[in-house]
Amino acid sequence: MAKLTLNGVEVEAEAGAPLVEVIKQQGVWISNLCYIDGLAPYAGCRSCLVEVEGARGLQLSCTARVADGMVVNTEKQPIKEARQQVLAIINANHSDRCLSCHRRVKCMPGDICLRDDVVTHRCVTCSKNYRCELQTTNELLDMGFENVEPWILEDRTYYQTEQPDPDRANPFFEFDPQMCILCTRCVRACDEIRHTSAISLSNKGYTSRIAFGAGGPIQDSNCDFCGACIDVCPTATLMEKPNKWIARTEDWTSTTCNSCSVGCTISVGTRSGRAVIVKPDYVNPVSADQICIRGRFHYDAIPDKQRLSKHYVRRGPTGTPQFPAHWGELVAYASEQLKGIIAKDGASAVAVLGSPFNTNEENYLAQKLARDVIGTPHIDFSSAAPNRAAGRAIEAAFGTEALASDAINIARSDVIVVIADDLEESHNVFSLRVKDAVVGQPVAPRSGKLILVSSQRGELADFCEPYGGVWLQPRVGEEALAAGALAKADGEVALLGESDLVVARNLLAEARDPSNIVSIIYAPHPLDARAAAEGAKAVANLAIALRGDKAAESLFVLPTEANANGARDMGVDPERGAGRVAADASGMDFAGMIDATHAGTLKAMVVVGDNPLMFAPGTPRIREALEKLEFVIVIDDVMTDTAKLAHCVFADVPEYAKTGTFSNAERRVNRLHAALDAIGDARPALLALTDLANALKPDAFAYDHPDAVTDEIAARVAGYEPFTSKFERWSKARVAEAATKSETQTVGTQPAAPADGQLLLTTSRTLYTSTDGAAVHAADADKLHREEFVEMHPADAGALQVLDGNDVVLMTEHGELSLKAKLSDRVQEGVVFVPYYLDGGAVCGLIASDGAPIAVQVKVAVAV
Amino acid sequence: MPDNEATLEIQHLIREFKPADGDLMGALHAVQHHYGYVPKMALKVVARQLRLSEAKVYGAATFYSEFRLTPPPETLIGWCSGLACRLENGHGIRKALETELGVGMGENTADNKVGLHFAQCNGTCEYAPQVWVNGRVVGSLTAASTVKLVRELKK
Ligand code: SF4
Ligand code: SF4
Ligand code: SF4
Ligand code: SF4
Ligand code: FES
Ligand code: FES
Repeated sequence: MAKLTLNGVEVEAEAGAPLVEVIKQQGVWISNLCYIDGLAPYAGCRSCLVEVEGARGLQLSCTARVADGMVVNTEKQPIKEARQQVLAIINANHSDRCLSCHRRVKCMPGDICLRDDVVTHRCVTCSKNYRCELQTTNELLDMGFENVEPWILEDRTYYQTEQPDPDRANPFFEFDPQMCILCTRCVRACDEIRHTSAISLSNKGYTSRIAFGAGGPIQDSNCDFCGACIDVCPTATLMEKPNKWIARTEDWTSTTCNSCSVGCTISVGTRSGRAVIVKPDYVNPVSADQICIRGRFHYDAIPDKQRLSKHYVRRGPTGTPQFPAHWGELVAYASEQLKGIIAKDGASAVAVLGSPFNTNEENYLAQKLARDVIGTPHIDFSSAAPNRAAGRAIEAAFGTEALASDAINIARSDVIVVIADDLEESHNVFSLRVKDAVVGQPVAPRSGKLILVSSQRGELADFCEPYGGVWLQPRVGEEALAAGALAKADGEVALLGESDLVVARNLLAEARDPSNIVSIIYAPHPLDARAAAEGAKAVANLAIALRGDKAAESLFVLPTEANANGARDMGVDPERGAGRVAADASGMDFAGMIDATHAGTLKAMVVVGDNPLMFAPGTPRIREALEKLEFVIVIDDVMTDTAKLAHCVFADVPEYAKTGTFSNAERRVNRLHAALDAIGDARPALLALTDLANALKPDAFAYDHPDAVTDEIAARVAGYEPFTSKFERWSKARVAEAATKSETQTVGTQPAAPADGQLLLTTSRTLYTSTDGAAVHAADADKLHREEFVEMHPADAGALQVLDGNDVVLMTEHGELSLKAKLSDRVQEGVVFVPYYLDGGAVCGLIASDGAPIAVQVKVAVAV
Repeated sequence: MPDNEATLEIQHLIREFKPADGDLMGALHAVQHHYGYVPKMALKVVARQLRLSEAKVYGAATFYSEFRLTPPPETLIGWCSGLACRLENGHGIRKALETELGVGMGENTADNKVGLHFAQCNGTCEYAPQVWVNGRVVGSLTAASTVKLVRELKK
């Protein structure tokens, strides 16, 4: 610690820390237009000048380092004037008329400007007015009041040069380079924080410009629309497009992204009860200042009018129309029908589905409704099988599946093993933390070695070999075998390149060193339970081989969906009740429910937020079953395919209108606070569950607020004790248990290879398609239209005479799907890939109910 | 990016360059030497081979004025920006060139026949005001003779 004097006040700070950060932490405002906290200084804008006594001339506080005894002044008039002069130069090449004007607060966009013309670009007509760092900087430096004109004699280069054209060609970003002050924060954020490097400073001198990729439109570059550049841009140059002109927020609410199991904490900006913008919420040290395109933009994946604003009832048989219904009428009808079925066929003729998209509170009440109110043991969610299979395998190895591994360690790892289809696409911010471990940042370089086991060429593949790691590319379905081969110190494995395996094993020797931090990250297949189980056994074995007793502290098993772990912790599991303890009576899993419906023993289903027709493999058979059921209740916020078949549809509110908790991949309990108002008549699912339970059994549920459920979970569910309703935001505590053993298991082999000449169809969660958009088959569920393809290897395409962009038909023994082909070396030869969510989970109609990759025929569609 | 003939050709051109800062210039030179310019597609190929992002390669290629990202025009007119030429109505010559070609400094005509670029004095000031047509001095210009010259070249 060093002592320094800042504007006459003695303060303590770490010696060697960047002075500018210390000044800001002390609550002293200082202009710093090109600095990004935590990154190396760029020292380009010169706006952070301060006086350091004893130093010659003024110093840049971003490059100056704290030293003991330093005396720093920021406020004296000559220092302020120096900063004003610097700003005047920056303003000269900006549409600055309002910046040096004391009247700005009085002007409205339509007003005649006293100095200019209304049509001139200026703050008053700018989309970033009142939320702009450059503007604030001008204001706090009194540019208007002290009338500091740009340059001399009002010579403004901005008005003398032709300004470059904006790029408005994509649905997410607007890039308006005429507003750019060339601070290069965006370049460095993309490069050093995201490790993507999609932006550069191009040309030189007066023609310097920020450019994406090869200077073309943003979507032609390798940008993946995470928005990190937007967050650091101090001007209106880079802004979110959907909310560019409307994001004048009235309120900010901290909640949790529901698009994957990373569980990034986000801050939802709202106006009149509607979301207008999303920013990362720094309170979470794993996601910190980062989120991905899903977190940032999927809040408005579909317009409000595509969400349910009314409840519906269908009193006739399947196929007859649903009519809007009042809440009371619906509750009465639903409970009457359920009671009738229970009286006729017994409670076990009813099943309940929870969902990995529900809050813990909703899932907890869903299972309570099933077990305590209806009295049926049949409770599950439709995509649970792989997650449960992996969980059980982990439990068999360590005595618990709530592993002690903490995601904060990923970015600090010395060796990282990733076993996934494409972690970048499925769990974006975890993938980012893996990249952090490999390259770090220029101020704090890291040299973690990445061993990637992936059949697809994803972005992480570029972070292996160049940095001393290695990418092992097993065949689809053979990931478990590859992980098994890594666990052994020697031995032949035919499926992997000999030399790669040697490299990997050498690296793993480092992973055995107990002083190193090791992260083993496994993202099981979202549909194939068998592969998930074998994979989980293999990665547990690998962790044990490398880390012995400490294995459980290095291993991460990432479910695909946001709250899959929470769902099972809450007892949405036919064999386990809340807290994952054995249930009093064990029930049927989802596949069993479908079989029982076909057999005629299951008659009714209460679907709480789930959509089996999108998430579960083997759609045709599931659809038949749902149609056959005597009574189906769906609680959801959109009209899903499943809801269309229901007899009662309770309109739920969107996720960001909910209060509750989620448990992420590492069982960190994240908080959701309601940011939005309900749409129309929609009411939170918790209310539907409560009213339904009470109609079935008087006084069954006495919850007057979501917090009452949160508190009951804290009181009753093992591991959730710290998370009462008083728990406000991100917490260091997790639902983790110490491993009670470290047992290796025998891994079964994976029969994947199709017959000669046949292609294998596989699927996985992709980055761009939104859950809500997919659920309603929105034409722009993937607004960039990047994923609306079957991807195939050029060699296979050549053999089948399929050209890039051809319409093709995929045929399996279960169904057909028509779509466009995209030739790509992201997939292996012999494999075709269809995104999981594409067109509401259409691929699920082509695969068997075991979810395994399946032989497929691809034909060029004949035009009719 | 699946490989096609063009990318394979570029890969061949730059086969000896390795991921190291110094090799970027070499690789870009190799591409420009072969094609006369650096095709946009080559940025991707170079980026992949040198393990850089496309944006970084683009940034470098546009920073150094010796690299061009568009094919060179059939005829390149260099306008002398030197002092002697300016004193002899060089600016008027520039205006005549730009007006008659319909393009600005640093641009090519739409059919890529004629391009105009900014050049520095080469010491042959006795012919001021002058331009260089594909490197050949055309001097002692007047506005009228400039227009005539351009009309010839545009044919
Ligand atoms: S970017 Fe900021 S400073 Fe520039 S015109 Fe807009 S609001 Fe004003
Ligand atoms: S959105 Fe992300 S990936 Fe795209 S340019 Fe900005 S920082 Fe880079
Ligand atoms: S786009 Fe924004 S962040 Fe990037 S250089 Fe320009 S002003 Fe700075
Ligand atoms: S990484 Fe996952 S949790 Fe984070 S913003 Fe993206 S989808 Fe949401
Ligand atoms: S912040 Fe110090 S020079 Fe820009
Ligand atoms: S000034 Fe034109 S040739 Fe010297």
